[in-house]
Parts: sequence; C-alpha cells; structure tokens
Amino acid sequence: MAAFVYRPTASPQEAANWSPRQVLETDLRTIGGRAYPRVTGMMREKSWLFFEILLPFLATSAFVFVYRALEAPPEYIGFVVLGGAMTAFWLNVIWMMASQLYWEKSQGNLELYFAAPMSITMVLFGMALGGIVMSSTRAVVVLIVATTVFGVTFSVEQWGLLIAVFVLTLAALYGFGMVLASLFLMWGREAFHMTQLFTEPVYFVSGLNFPVARLGFVGALAIGTIPLAVGLDAMRQLAFAGVEFPVGTPPPEVEVLILVAMTVVFLAIARWTLAVLERMARREGRLSVRWQ
Amino acid sequence: MPAFHVSVPDAILPFLPTPTIPGPAMSTSAEPPAIEARGLERVYNVKPAPVTALAGIDLDVAPGEFFGILGPNGAGKTTLIKILTTLLLPTAGTARIFGFDVAHDVKKIRRIMNMVAGGEQSGYGILTAREQLWMFSQFYGLPRKDGWRRVDELIEAVGLTEQALQRVSTLSTGQRQKMNFARGLLNDPWIFFLDEPTLGLDVAAARSVRELIVAWKAAVPGRTVTLTTHYMAEADELCDRIAIVDHGRILAIGTPAELKHRVQRESIFRIELDRLHGGTATLDRIPGVVSAAPAAAEGGPVDRQTVAVNLVLETDAILGSVVAALSARGSNILALRKSEPSLEDVFVELVGRGFDDTDDDGQNDDRSPPARRDDDADGPAAAGDRADAETEAEYA
Amino acid sequence: MTARGAAAELADELGSPEWGGFEPGRVRGNGFADTWRSFVTAARLGWAMEANWTDPVLFFIYSVAKPVSSALILVVMLDIITGGNRPEYKGFVVVGTALWSFVVAGIAGLAWSVLDDRERYRMLKYVYVSPSDFLVVLLGRGVARVLVGGAGALITIAVGIVFLGVTFDPLAVDWPSLAVALLAGLGAIVAVAILLAAIILQTRQDSWSYPEALAGALFLVSGAVFPLTVLPGPLQAVGLLTPMTWWIEGVRDALFPGGLSAVGGEGSLWLALTGSARPDQLTTLVALLATGTLVTLAATAVFRASEGRAKDRGLLDQTTGS
Repeated sequence: MAAFVYRPTASPQEAANWSPRQVLETDLRTIGGRAYPRVTGMMREKSWLFFEILLPFLATSAFVFVYRALEAPPEYIGFVVLGGAMTAFWLNVIWMMASQLYWEKSQGNLELYFAAPMSITMVLFGMALGGIVMSSTRAVVVLIVATTVFGVTFSVEQWGLLIAVFVLTLAALYGFGMVLASLFLMWGREAFHMTQLFTEPVYFVSGLNFPVARLGFVGALAIGTIPLAVGLDAMRQLAFAGVEFPVGTPPPEVEVLILVAMTVVFLAIARWTLAVLERMARREGRLSVRWQ
Repeated sequence: MPAFHVSVPDAILPFLPTPTIPGPAMSTSAEPPAIEARGLERVYNVKPAPVTALAGIDLDVAPGEFFGILGPNGAGKTTLIKILTTLLLPTAGTARIFGFDVAHDVKKIRRIMNMVAGGEQSGYGILTAREQLWMFSQFYGLPRKDGWRRVDELIEAVGLTEQALQRVSTLSTGQRQKMNFARGLLNDPWIFFLDEPTLGLDVAAARSVRELIVAWKAAVPGRTVTLTTHYMAEADELCDRIAIVDHGRILAIGTPAELKHRVQRESIFRIELDRLHGGTATLDRIPGVVSAAPAAAEGGPVDRQTVAVNLVLETDAILGSVVAALSARGSNILALRKSEPSLEDVFVELVGRGFDDTDDDGQNDDRSPPARRDDDADGPAAAGDRADAETEAEYA
Repeated sequence: MTARGAAAELADELGSPEWGGFEPGRVRGNGFADTWRSFVTAARLGWAMEANWTDPVLFFIYSVAKPVSSALILVVMLDIITGGNRPEYKGFVVVGTALWSFVVAGIAGLAWSVLDDRERYRMLKYVYVSPSDFLVVLLGRGVARVLVGGAGALITIAVGIVFLGVTFDPLAVDWPSLAVALLAGLGAIVAVAILLAAIILQTRQDSWSYPEALAGALFLVSGAVFPLTVLPGPLQAVGLLTPMTWWIEGVRDALFPGGLSAVGGEGSLWLALTGSARPDQLTTLVALLATGTLVTLAATAVFRASEGRAKDRGLLDQTTGS
C-alpha cells in the first residue's frame, strides 16, 4: 500500500545519518509544529480573552490605584503599567514553558517526544512561540489601555535601543524558561509548587512595581540574574528618558550587554541541562512515570 | 445427520505437517541485526526495595523479522521495549539497533524507529486527529505540505477518514489507537516497536489493528517489527519468532511451532466415528499410534450414535494409516480435530504456572514499577478460562 | 488458579452469603454522615497531595514566600512614596496583602482541583460517578490549599509586626468580631472558588493561571491595599458588593480598631450613600454576610449549571492539553 512507504532509503544506516541541513530543517519544523497546538487551542477556546487579558489589566490597575492613593509622582504609574505589560511574558515563561515538560509527562506525551528525533529544545521554543501570541496580546492591551485610561506619558529618545532591549529581554526570559523546564522535569511534582515561588517573589526582587534600585543589594543581585529585573529596568530608563531614576542600576547600554550575556548563558545552560537531565531521566526511568 | 464422508487425502490434508519456517538467518557481519542485546539488565530503585525488571537478556532479531515478546504482566516486556526505544538506560549490558548503541547513538536510532503502545492516552485533546498527526510529522522532519499529504494518506490507510476532523478527546479507544498507529508510521520506520498495541481494544478493533500491522509488514517486507503482548493468540498469529519472558529473563525463543513442539512432541487428534468394530484396541496395533482411548461425548443429538476416540500419534503422517484402517473396518469419520498446545501451555511447561496464576509463595509478582496503562482485565483471565474449558472437555 | 476460582475464594473470604444481592439500604445512603465522610476523605486526599513533599523546608518556603513577597512589594511601594511617614498605611497594606494571599489560595484550591483531577490524574469522572456529591468532594480537596493559605497569611502578619514595623496591640483586638468575620469571609471565598471551578469545568488545560487572574481583578475592587475612595464611583459600587471588601474591612477593623478604613473616608461612595464616615463593626459583618450569601447562591447555581453542561458535552473526562 503506497501510504505505508515514504522516501525509502537503501538501509537503516542511510536513514539514520542526517545531514546538518536535515537536522536544521527538522528543528525549524518542530518549532512550528509545537507552536501549532498552542495557537490552535487559543483560537478554539477563547476564555483567555477574559482571564488572560481583561482581568490582568484590572490587576495592574490595582497597583496604579495604590500609587494614586499615595499621591505618587506620575512616572510611577508608568512604571506599574510597564511592569504589568512585562508580567505577561514572565507568566508565559513560568506557566507555559517552565512547567510544560512536567505537564507533558503527566499526559504521556513526553516519552513520545523523547522517542522522536527532534531536539526537545526546539519543542520548548515552539511552546514559547505559541504562547507569545497570547502574551503579546496581553502586554499590548495593558500598555495601550492603561496608558490611555491613566494618562501615562512616555518619552523615548532611543527607540532602537528600546526595541533591542525588549527583544533581548524576551530572548533571555525564554532562555531562562528553558533552564527552568529542565529543572522542573527533574523536580517532578514539586514543579507545580515551584511555579508559585516564581511569581510574587520574583515580582518583588525584579521591581515589577517600583524601580529595582530601591532594593539595594537585593536589586543589584536581581539585575545580574533575573532577566525580568534587568530588562524592565532598562526599558523604564529608556521609556521615561526625562525622569530622574534612583541611583544604583547600570545605564541601559550596560544592561543590554547583561541581557546578551544572559541570553547566551541561559541558552547554553538550557542545552546542557536538558541533555543531562534527559540522561538522568532515562537512567532513573522517569520519562514515563506519572505523578512523580 | 448424514455421515461425514471424507476421502483419505481430504481428511489428512489439513493436518499434514507444514514445513517449519526456520528463523531468519542471523545477520552476516556486513548487515547488523535489527536488535542485538547482550546481558541486558535493568533495576529500578524504588521503595521499599529495588525491583529487577530485567535480569540478563540476550537477544538477536534479524532485519525483516516479525518478533514477538510474550509474557505475563510484570515480566519485563515494557522495560525491554523502553530500553530498545532509547527511553530507558540499562543498568548493565548493551543493546544495539541496526548497530547503533541505545545508550550513545540515541538520535540515530530515533530517526529510524517508531513505537506505539497500547492504552496510550497521549495527545492534545483540543486538536483534531489530522492536526495531531501533522504535528508529529513535523517532529520527524517532514516538510509542511508533505506532512499534510502523508497524514491524509495514513488516515485513509488506517480507516480513520471519517474521524480525521474530530478532536482527539472525542475519539473512541479503537480510533485513538488507529491514530497512534498512523503516528507510528509517519517516518516509515525501519524498526517498529509495538508494546501491547491491542490492549483494551474490543475484538473488532484489535483485529483491525492486527490487520494493519500485517498489511504494513507486507508492504515493506524489509522492515522489522517487535511486538510485546500477553495475548498468546496474537503472538501465535503474527510472529515469525517469539521470546517467552518471565521475571526479566527469556525462557525460550523459537517459532510458534518450535515452542509448541517443546511441550507436545506427539500429534493428538480427537476423532468421532459412527461405529468402531473391535474397539480402540484395534487402533493401538497400528504402527505409529502411541495410544488410542475412548473420549467423552461432546453433546450433540441424543440419538446420534458416535464413538469418540482420542488418538496420540507419533507424527501427523500416521493419521493416513489410521484413516485407512478405519475405512477398512467400515467406520465413517464424522469429525476430526487436532489438539494443539497453546503458548500458555508452553509457558506452564517452562515456568510451572499459567499467566494468571500465583507463584508458590502466593504472590502474583508484578516486577515493574506502576505502569501507565491498566491491564485489560478481560483478556488474560478470559483466555485462561477458555483454555481450561477446552482442556477439560478434551481430556475428560 | 482460574479467574472463577479466585472469585469464589474471594466471595468466601468476604463471608456474606448474600454477596451480590441487592440491598435497598445502599441506595438510600446515610444523609449527612455520607456527606461528612466524603468531605473528610477528600480533605485528607487534598492534604496528602499538598503536603507530600520530599523537602519540608521547601514546602515551608513555598507557603510563606509568596504572601510575604506580596506584602513586601506593597511596603516598598509605600516607603518609596511616603518615605516612611505614613505608618498607619503599613498595617493597612500588610494585613490587606496577607489576607489577599489567603483569598488567592482559597480560590485556587478548588479550581486547581478540577484541573488536576481532570487533566493530570484523570480521576474526575470516577469522582463524579461515585455516590459522593461532586461539589462536596471538590470542597474537601480545596481545604488543604486553604489551610496552607491561612498559615501563610498568619506568618505574613507576624513578619509585618516583627520586621516591618506594623504596630499591633493584642489587647485591643476585638476577638469575637474577628472570629465571625473570618468564618463568614471563608464562606464567601469558597463561594467565589466554586464559581471559578464552575468556569474551569468548561475551559481547557491552560487555565491554571485563571485563579490568579480572578484574584488579581478582585484585588482592584476589594480595598485590600488602598481605600476604595481612590476608585471611580462605579468601581466603588462593585467593591461594596464584593464580599471580600467587607471581609478585609472586618478583619482589619477587628485587628486594628480605629485604623484606616478601606470602605469609608472622605469622598467615598459609602459616605455619599450613608452619610457616615465609615461602617461600624456590626454593619461590616452584616454586609459581609449579605454579600457572601448572594455570591454563595449565585455560585451554587452557576456550578450546577456548569456541571450539567459538562455532563451534556462530555467534558468531565476529556483532556484538553495544547
């Protein structure tokens, strides 16, 4: 039956040895393939429009009103709005990437992924790409609506640098997410609880609602380790160019370099940890044991 | 009821010994085996005590073979498959797939193999069957349009055309397994691992899956299939050779006929006649007849005059002499049936208990960690019951 | 041994000559005793799952870090703007965020139980077809998370008092009002949780973040960390109809009598409607009970409707991953 035959090769050895081009093409197709269910799922079940867009906007508004209650300078409203927009990407990293391999194992998909020839890193990329659609929508809504409703005024002098910071922040964030994905695969059922640790505690040390310089040493540590902290601080400095910021954080140009380094380091660590942890999971038989 | 008149040649034709299909020749050094395992061991470190799932497996499977791994639950079948499909590392020993090491040449093996397990619940419920398969086609590197085309071809081949646009979460068990089977064929694997593929399926669905397997094997004769199952009939029907495993060890390997021959070297027939002058003693004297004894009636119309005889012959060929002798004495054959041992009989012979029975210590040992799939409670128990019923009727 | 033989032996062991016969009493059930048993069993299960950690220290950190961090965010925001010159706000925001973490835990408890059981453990359908009331089982499953949230809230308040300079006088606490407010508020939180669980019965697997999203939105209108006077009129009205607003007001007023009110104050809708600067403790408790009752009735009705729709569409045993 013709359907059963596809691109016959002369021997299994020929079929097993892929060229670098074949590997690259498969990796790219994997990204698209894995993004597909995420995007399709969003189109088919639209409750996220309410829960992932409207409600988070209201949550961000709450912090705006805190500053209003305290009669804070208007730029602080802008800080909160920008922080609220970036929260969308952070939550995408935590919920839809870092813990995703753990969910995949629970559903029985993980062993199918590992039995297939593509790189699991590309699967994570695909998940991230699919989730970015939702995150971007949320970020844009928060930014535009909150800016309009609360009268936030941005003053950007270096658009190119701002866009570069944003892109690098995302790259570093998702690299960090991949590292977390491999750790969560190792930690098993604790991963679900670990995602809780990566919300408010990270919001605090990243200065989501206030300039991170206010945290002193803790803030400096966050700048050096958490992509959200350094990216947000750089974006604030660039988006509110005329505002006087608390002293203590590097200028945006330096923070760009930090983000580049983070991206490279996190992606390298992610590749390594995913490989090591796959081997560990294969050794301990964890790839298919659910609820572990 | 009219007598069952059967000419001598017709009577014995079905029971003439068929040539034993020898196992495929072991590969030459130029062509590596599809599977080569040496001293394979696997221990799970679980509480309260480590579990030895594989206790030293040596195995050679030639390219193009349909190889079965038969054993009860907890025998180590799934653990063996997981090692061979690179999902699990062995604790000791080595295994190679077409010469590629399962521990080190992981990517290469994944490019040429695929696997389908029974009772699989994986997949994304929000996608349609077609989309689910296309997603996996991308994982195997098929170009986007090629992927859709191949998915449509395979959907048609496995008989899922009507369900192609249904969400995965709405498919029945049998339909989902067909989808899984299509997924397994996306990359045209050189070696196809089937881990209890008919588990949990009804008779029709199971038959359908088996037919698909056979059809695929016929379409691509050079490809190798490794099937694990605890359904004896399935292994008997499909496999060129079978390894019987229990407690992490291979107890015996051979073709189904070879394995059964271990248990029963003679040929046993039940023959029903309208009369038998001189009784069974007249048959005892025929050379090659080991024994001839009266058998219990199996029901039928009360007024039917039948004489049933259990014949034990040295070989199938002796049957001709027996039939000739009966004809000479004026007996008419009403029914003739050969009694063959089942693979469970082979297992009992090897281990001393059936698939469902407990060990001497009263434990029904399950040697593997909690598995993802539930047992099909009907399958082994019902099969065991049927085997018992047949045995009782035959030898009463 | 054959299957029939094993079954016969099992029947002997069970010892009932009528085994397999129909007993009408089993259909009637035992009323409240069955309900209580279902609840307790589900609560034990929820606790076992929640507390089954390999590292108790990590469990503790997880339970405490989130609510304490929430409080710290607000305290830092406060310090940045006021320079520490508004100490009364500190107690206001610390208590508010501590209680809010309890709200989040309570809402998430039931909602995540639905997702857990449907998507991960695939037990939802078996729970549903058991004689236990589905809602009772879900409530029991959520208890563990509520308890963990409560412990986190207590620790956060303690941290605020010990480390963040919140002034607290145990002798001034109105303990009876506190007890009533806590109990009534718990009921309201559970009602909102039921509402969300009803929605999640209809949504797909990726709705893990919905409890936080809903809690975040309610955060805006509940006066948790700022007085309602800051909000526009319509939002203040929503806040006055939200049971969480009265719960936080009641607990805050019991713990810190005479402190800042989230409901009243100059320019508030409360002042405009009632003429009083702030509600007294009795009014707060009555408002809490009234709004809580309304939300409970609505939540129960929505849950039953959602349950029916889920049964109709076969959603109870589907998996919806993407």
